[in-house]
Amino acid sequence: MNPIVELKHVGKVYVSARDGEAIEALANIDFTIRRGEFLTVVGPSGCGKSTLLSLIAGFNAPTSGDVLFQGHPITAPGPERGVMFQDYALFPWRTVAGNIEFGPQARGVDAAHTRERVRKLIEMVGLRGFEHRYPHELSGGMRQRCALARMLANDPTMWLMDEPLAAVDLQTRIILQDELLRMWGDGIGTAGDRPTVVFVTHGIDEAVLLADRVLVLGRRPGRIKEVVDVALPRPRTALRNGPEVARLTAQVWELIHDEAVQAINEEAPL
Amino acid sequence: MARLFEPLIGIACALAAWEIAARVAGNATLVPSPATVWNALVAMRGSELPRDIAASIVHLVVGYAAGAALGLVLALVAGSSKWFAAVIDPFAEFLRPISPIAWIPLAILMFGVGGGVPVFLIFYAALFPIFVGTLDGIRRVDPTLVNAGRALGASRATLALRVIFPATLPSIFAGARLSLGVAWMALVAGEIVGGDAGIGWRILWYQEFFQMDRVLAAILIVGALGLAADTLLQALQRRVLRWLPASEGTR
Amino acid sequence: MSGSEVGRGARVLLPLAVALVLCAVWEVAVRMTHSHGLLPSPTGVVESGAILTSSGVIVEAMSGSLKRVLIGFAIGGALGIPTGLAIGTVPALDRAFRPVLDGLRSIAPIAWIPMAILWLGVRGDAALFVVAYAAVFPFIVNASLAARLVDRRLIAAARALGAGPWTVVRTVLLPGSIPMLFTGARIALAFAWASIIAAELAIGIKIAGQGRSVAGIGQLMVETLYVRRDVDALVFYMLVIGAVSFLIDAGLRRLQRWMLPWSDR
Repeated sequence: MNPIVELKHVGKVYVSARDGEAIEALANIDFTIRRGEFLTVVGPSGCGKSTLLSLIAGFNAPTSGDVLFQGHPITAPGPERGVMFQDYALFPWRTVAGNIEFGPQARGVDAAHTRERVRKLIEMVGLRGFEHRYPHELSGGMRQRCALARMLANDPTMWLMDEPLAAVDLQTRIILQDELLRMWGDGIGTAGDRPTVVFVTHGIDEAVLLADRVLVLGRRPGRIKEVVDVALPRPRTALRNGPEVARLTAQVWELIHDEAVQAINEEAPL
Repeated sequence: MARLFEPLIGIACALAAWEIAARVAGNATLVPSPATVWNALVAMRGSELPRDIAASIVHLVVGYAAGAALGLVLALVAGSSKWFAAVIDPFAEFLRPISPIAWIPLAILMFGVGGGVPVFLIFYAALFPIFVGTLDGIRRVDPTLVNAGRALGASRATLALRVIFPATLPSIFAGARLSLGVAWMALVAGEIVGGDAGIGWRILWYQEFFQMDRVLAAILIVGALGLAADTLLQALQRRVLRWLPASEGTR
Repeated sequence: MSGSEVGRGARVLLPLAVALVLCAVWEVAVRMTHSHGLLPSPTGVVESGAILTSSGVIVEAMSGSLKRVLIGFAIGGALGIPTGLAIGTVPALDRAFRPVLDGLRSIAPIAWIPMAILWLGVRGDAALFVVAYAAVFPFIVNASLAARLVDRRLIAAARALGAGPWTVVRTVLLPGSIPMLFTGARIALAFAWASIIAAELAIGIKIAGQGRSVAGIGQLMVETLYVRRDVDALVFYMLVIGAVSFLIDAGLRRLQRWMLPWSDR
């Protein structure tokens, strides 16, 4: 096994700004992410899956335990751990091209190389013709692809994705899933060649379809319930509506079901 | 075509009311009629008016630029250092109720009667709304955007310049529009009470010689200039903020 | 953002400490250059302030100014609110008169001083004109906005129930507009306060040295500047003006929260 991220006895406690109460978002997380794997993270509301992702991204530090990236503790975000946010977080004042070139620009890559890279990425995500549009002029699916291209511009070793397909309609989601797999290198080459993906989602079928392993979290406090191996052959696109995916989906749902119901009942009004 | 019609009616009514008032007063010095004011304008245009307008514009630009620059810098520092913010916030709150007008006598003391007074007043008038608006904008920047920048490899400087600053621009413009109105009033007051050049000062000058038609003409010019300044700022805002979705007002 | 949070105690003490240090430095600088009396100093300001308050000079001047502010404010409201409501409810009026009103609004109120002096004399009414002029526009703007925001359907419902136009105004339009009118009033009062100072300063300059009795704080400031040359008093007046501004606005805000607890802008 080739570890890229190690979570050792990780815990995260938040202090609620509203009433000063301490909320234990994560507790006792011991887990190792393998290089080149596609890991999905599922769980009911409040299980801390977004928190987990933000720890790996480096936006927060754990309250206890260590989070290591390639053997070293994570202290800050970095371009080698690219992030895709739930609401895309595109810079509204930059065009599509402007957003995509942000990473290389920030890292000091020269203009010629940057331009070339941006052009290739725009081609790859299918946004040709929209380079000079602003985010508010784009549809959800287009913004998604722009956000993906922006992350890929830095050629990151890890792709950290927080419910990236939550806000698009079902048809677009299926198309984007296929594109995502393709860009990741589904079924091509070996694990060493591919980026490592950590993909947080609410959609269990999506989680099972895309992943090598599914990390199932429980809530209150967020902890690892189980790790489900998805030993299905790749490429996965053909298996989308097949029996194996359905069986595994049911298996994972079984694990989450009770707590999911609990979560709905406890949902506080916004 | 109809859209142009109604405003014209309104303007016509106003002019008619003015003309009636002038006739009723019967005294061209007391209430100059529209015609005499127009003649005065034409006469002024050939002589002092361009110079006066230029002087006022210089006062405004110099004072406003200085005030805005300082306001931006202070807000940036306050935005990144909580200690600095803790110190400067109360000072800003303390000075804010003291309108620029109240500073006039002290300004005359400091700078003597002359251009320094209006420039200082405008500087002061521009400083606070821009400082407060910018700082407010900085504090309200979506942290997700900042995180996105960090995850893309941006250094602190890059974050400040290429993420926080553009995200703050809408608030900066809001502060700028607000402060322009106050600054304009400060300009006129400063020139009238303590200046030696500019259109405000010229109003007093004409009054000394009881050229009330010119006084009224100059008053109208003051209004026109104020309107022009705000329109320009609005146009600039629309251009710079063209990335905002239509619902987020650039009004 | 820098790491540590600034504690609540520090939040109060730190600016206080900085202020004290600045005052101390300022005081020392003035004394060392022997400019006490030529330049304002903290102790000088306090001294002057004490004298002026106890002798009633400032109270008298302030009451003169405030009186005119309130009258001007009332005139502004009396003229501005009906105009604004009319414009807000009848779109044709809005389209016709908006340009004229915007133009007039752009004229800084103080610019009218020479005409006001001519029409109303120097004694105080000229300043009143400027104040009223400054106060009327915020009322117009906010009243028209408020009228436009009042739900058209409520008006239609009232009329369907047989309410005549005056009743509609009284029972639907006015109550719905009150929060925005309050905001307009706050702005108008702030403008009025700033304008009275400016107007009194301008008038004061005109009559400086003529030995006339002082009618307001602006004129008091001019007299102090040119005749008595008391620099410390000037700073004191500024602080008082600021304090009054603050109290007026804070007072109105509190009133708004008390009268209309559901609105707070």
